[in-house]
Amino acid sequence: MEFEFSVDGVRQTISLDRKDDRVLIHHGEKTLDAQVRVISANAVSLLVGGRSFLLIIARDKDKKHIWLDGRTYLIQSSEEEQRLAERGDDRAQKGKSVVTAPMPGKVVKVNVAEKEAVRKNQTLAIVEAMKMENEIKSPLEGFVKKIYVSPGDLVDSEKPLFELEPKA
Amino acid sequence: MFKKILVANRGEIACRIIRACREMGIVSLAVYSEADRAGLHVQMADEALCIGPPPAVESYLNMDKIIETARLCGAEAIHPGYGFLAENAEFARRCEQAGIVFIGPNSRALELVGDKIRARQTMEKSGIPIIPGMKHVAADFAEYATEARKIGYPVMIKASAGGGGKGMRIIGSEDELRPGLEAGQREAKAAFGDESVYLEKYIEDPRHVEFQVLADNYGQIVHLFERECSIQRRHQKIVEETPSQALTPELRRTMGETARKVLAVSGYNNAGTVEFLLDRNKKFYFLEVNARLQVEHPVTELTTGVDLVQQQIRIAAGEKLALRQEDLIQRGHAIECRIYAENPSRNFLPSPGKILYLREPGGPGVRHDGGIYGGWEVPIYYDPILAKLIVWAETRDSARARMVAALDDYVILGISTTIPFLKEVISHPRFQEGATTTAFIKNYFENWQEKQGPADGLTLALAAAALDELSPSQKAGKAAGPRKDVYSPWLTLGRWRIGEKP
Repeated sequence: MEFEFSVDGVRQTISLDRKDDRVLIHHGEKTLDAQVRVISANAVSLLVGGRSFLLIIARDKDKKHIWLDGRTYLIQSSEEEQRLAERGDDRAQKGKSVVTAPMPGKVVKVNVAEKEAVRKNQTLAIVEAMKMENEIKSPLEGFVKKIYVSPGDLVDSEKPLFELEPKA
Repeated sequence: MFKKILVANRGEIACRIIRACREMGIVSLAVYSEADRAGLHVQMADEALCIGPPPAVESYLNMDKIIETARLCGAEAIHPGYGFLAENAEFARRCEQAGIVFIGPNSRALELVGDKIRARQTMEKSGIPIIPGMKHVAADFAEYATEARKIGYPVMIKASAGGGGKGMRIIGSEDELRPGLEAGQREAKAAFGDESVYLEKYIEDPRHVEFQVLADNYGQIVHLFERECSIQRRHQKIVEETPSQALTPELRRTMGETARKVLAVSGYNNAGTVEFLLDRNKKFYFLEVNARLQVEHPVTELTTGVDLVQQQIRIAAGEKLALRQEDLIQRGHAIECRIYAENPSRNFLPSPGKILYLREPGGPGVRHDGGIYGGWEVPIYYDPILAKLIVWAETRDSARARMVAALDDYVILGISTTIPFLKEVISHPRFQEGATTTAFIKNYFENWQEKQGPADGLTLALAAAALDELSPSQKAGKAAGPRKDVYSPWLTLGRWRIGEKP
């Protein structure tokens, strides 16, 4: 059966065929023949051509975090990805741009006011996390349409901070 | 010996101190902010008390509250760990006045070593080599210019109350001096409330070599050899090791004796670290005293066999040092990597958040000093240090290989960490050669990005994601992939169960 995921914004299709105690994994041109053992809710062991791979899996609200040999893959179901893309398209269509928090933190300063004109790379706000101040810069030239936060607010990663309107 | 110790810190170092207390039969009292109720140090301690809201100034830096808590709960001593109140002379003095033992140096020694200009004056008077430069603050620009010419360009501007790179500037020629001074003074004023700056000779590409020292309350002082901490970014150490590849036995002896002398002339007691810069010609200069237990203390513990936290507690309780210099030896090689909650591919952007899964590495010679667990939410309020991974082996090469393997085994899911970055640092050919200087990260790892993994890696990860979709532990609808036909999947593939033998 076939599955669709998105990794770093790239759509990936994978299909699995179960044959007795093995699974054939098809990904692009490649086919791997794997013996599968689900170890726990967080671990799957795959034996591929005699090589042993342990994959560790954790989940958050919209994606899977999968670890293999020291590397972490962030895998999103393509449904979720599509939902986000549609929201993005929606914004693009209306000619808006939403600036979001790059990490969880605390808004220590808001440097602009609504309706104010901003230059590209102008500092809009400062968000502090772990004793480090991070400047939130404007991605475009235009003006500030809406401000969603005030100094002192705690924000989550990806939380909208500003809505900007590009210069016509 | 003390019956109860208050641990005035959090995270991995609080856990480290609590372990020492446990082993010594001392009751440990953890204090915590409202953001740390679920912290590992609270779980590990015998007793725990909330001391205030999340911001450190209202909790971990609240001197009155901490001293009052110690009194209220009958703790005879306070261990400050590192950071927070660890090098605060006022806090040490207030503990002394309240009749509570501060596990660290006395307040007068803390004051002396905390003032860079005074410390430089004291060291020079005692014949300890300091970086050539000023031992006072100049009255005007003309005086700075005269001093700079005397020292010879390039010179370094440093803040007298300084630390952490604040106010620091490298000046290549006289034209740059005036703007450099103005900016340095401004920065020093903003950071320390004191705009005093002075000039020093700029040492190019130095190594950072420090000596661990222990001094009891009766004038006995031993050193426990060096740690090399040249691998730094933003003036912050990320990899430390001992022994240093740069020292010969004679140089090690000379620097060790100098470190002991630094503590002696400062009237210092308890554990301390004397930092030196070592230039290309193997000339060393006194830099400063770190008047606390250092983050990187475990590499010294692994190579000397001495438990530094237990030594700190014994010294503070008034015991005489049982260690003699002639009995101390270095055995094998130890390396430490600091694991930070930061994204190394995005200019080390802080990465607080929930740890979804944690697997700590193990095996012979591997030590993990952590303050984290799977399911814990790393708070946004404090330092990004999560844990330290320390390895020991007979030789540097084996220790390096052991560290690479341990980093390979280390799994933290849910937040970004420095683990992949550290693996490349440790594997870099120049690191393998031992050619480490403070410019290492700048020279070889500027704008670092994680490389693509092997091609099969992504395929296997996607296969695991697909299998996860089919597993009964994966609740339907939660992060579920698109099932083109909701009714068919189980027919072709069947459910996967934990431990199932197909």
